[in-house]
Amino acid sequence: MALASRAFLWTGAVVCLGFAVIQLIRPELKNPPVTAEIQAPEEVRQILRTSCYSCHSNETKLPWFDQIEPAYWLVTKDVKKARRHLNFSEFGKLPAAQQKGLLFEAVNQIQMGAMPLPRYLKVHPEAKVTQDQVAVLRNYLVPPSTASAAPAAAADTTAGDAQYGKWIKQSEGPLEVQKSPNGIAFLPDYKNWKTISSTDRFDGGTLREIMGNDVAVKAIADNHINPWPDGTVFAKVAWFEQPDGQGVMRTGAFYQVEYMIRDSKKYASTKGWGWARWRGTDLKPYGKDAKFTNECVSCHEPVAKNDYVYTMPIGGQQ
Amino acid sequence: MKIISLVGLVVLSSAVGCSKPNPRVETRLNEDARLMGELTPNPMQGKVITSWVDKRDSTMSTLYGNDAAVNYARRNAEMKYPAGSVVSLVTWNQQEDGRWFGGKIPATPKSVEVVSVGTGYSYQRFEGSPLKRVENTEGAAPNERAAYLLSQRAAVLP
Repeated sequence: MALASRAFLWTGAVVCLGFAVIQLIRPELKNPPVTAEIQAPEEVRQILRTSCYSCHSNETKLPWFDQIEPAYWLVTKDVKKARRHLNFSEFGKLPAAQQKGLLFEAVNQIQMGAMPLPRYLKVHPEAKVTQDQVAVLRNYLVPPSTASAAPAAAADTTAGDAQYGKWIKQSEGPLEVQKSPNGIAFLPDYKNWKTISSTDRFDGGTLREIMGNDVAVKAIADNHINPWPDGTVFAKVAWFEQPDGQGVMRTGAFYQVEYMIRDSKKYASTKGWGWARWRGTDLKPYGKDAKFTNECVSCHEPVAKNDYVYTMPIGGQQ
Repeated sequence: MKIISLVGLVVLSSAVGCSKPNPRVETRLNEDARLMGELTPNPMQGKVITSWVDKRDSTMSTLYGNDAAVNYARRNAEMKYPAGSVVSLVTWNQQEDGRWFGGKIPATPKSVEVVSVGTGYSYQRFEGSPLKRVENTEGAAPNERAAYLLSQRAAVLP
């Protein structure tokens, strides 16, 4: 009995000492100056300040319990990662199109319940974005009045026409397409696959068709789409929308083709999917190195429970 | 010790995390957009020629072709389809993409139009749910709507 209580005391002492020692290991988390804060109506900024700024700005304010290790270590890591992706204190330096894209993504992540991080909300319930606040953010990005707005002015079609002119004549001969940095080879037959859906991406001004190979199409016909069977491949093709001035948006210049290739073993480290993207009619592979797939996976994280797939395939495939 | 357990508990529970499933993430097919009715074959069995969005009536259309039509449209800018070509336009009403704020996806089908090129031209139009044929025109020359569909150049697919 005495031995047991002594062991207990020793264990307690070691744990306390360990706890004290890890308090000394403190990664640095500074608040750099606010250089180009987001410009938005006050009601929008108020929501961002309450729910996003703790991690996505240079004005991080940590409550006492976040300053204790090991919580502090986790928080520091999260804040640094968050600032790299989206920092409202330096937001104004980004090109307008990128700002818009990030805000749409932010609202999407909030709607999908991916942001603020569920584990952050557990200890910071005050950061929860309410339905009313989501509506404020949505209305800021897509004002209800835009539906009846005048049609977009006719686009300059020069670039799209030139691209089409070359492509239709095949004047450049067959392309030598480089592999994606993660080793995935280009799949040129995507254009002959069946479509499984399409998207009008008015946030970024593109039109998209989502194609599926035979395995994907059969999986849809059988309604076996979570998880998708090995061998499934999706190709999502995007063109810049080209307004005709009368309210019709046509496919303009080709922008990119992106793939998701299912192989649960080969691509186990990237959630069972091989990710690849080629841009422009010269089909330049996307990404500096194989780590570009971190972007793919983190953007698809909100749909993790849907096997990382955003597209909702149209029913009735045969 | 109590504080340590408390901190440990907070760290553990926050690291494990658990939340209610978001209905937007629920796995399902887009059944609203399914083409049902008197269509043989289903135009979605074809390949893509191009697509467009009409902001005036909030619809989105995809132009499909059979092999003869697609092989022609991807190699020729003159848009004089050879006999044997079948070109179909599916027009859907739009709905917000529940999984991507900033995107719209097909909702219910509004119409399906099929142009067949033989010695002459036939134009069929289907509407309603399920889709029913509401127009069937044949002639030596394409009617105005068929001519419009046959004049759409292919989207660039490198």
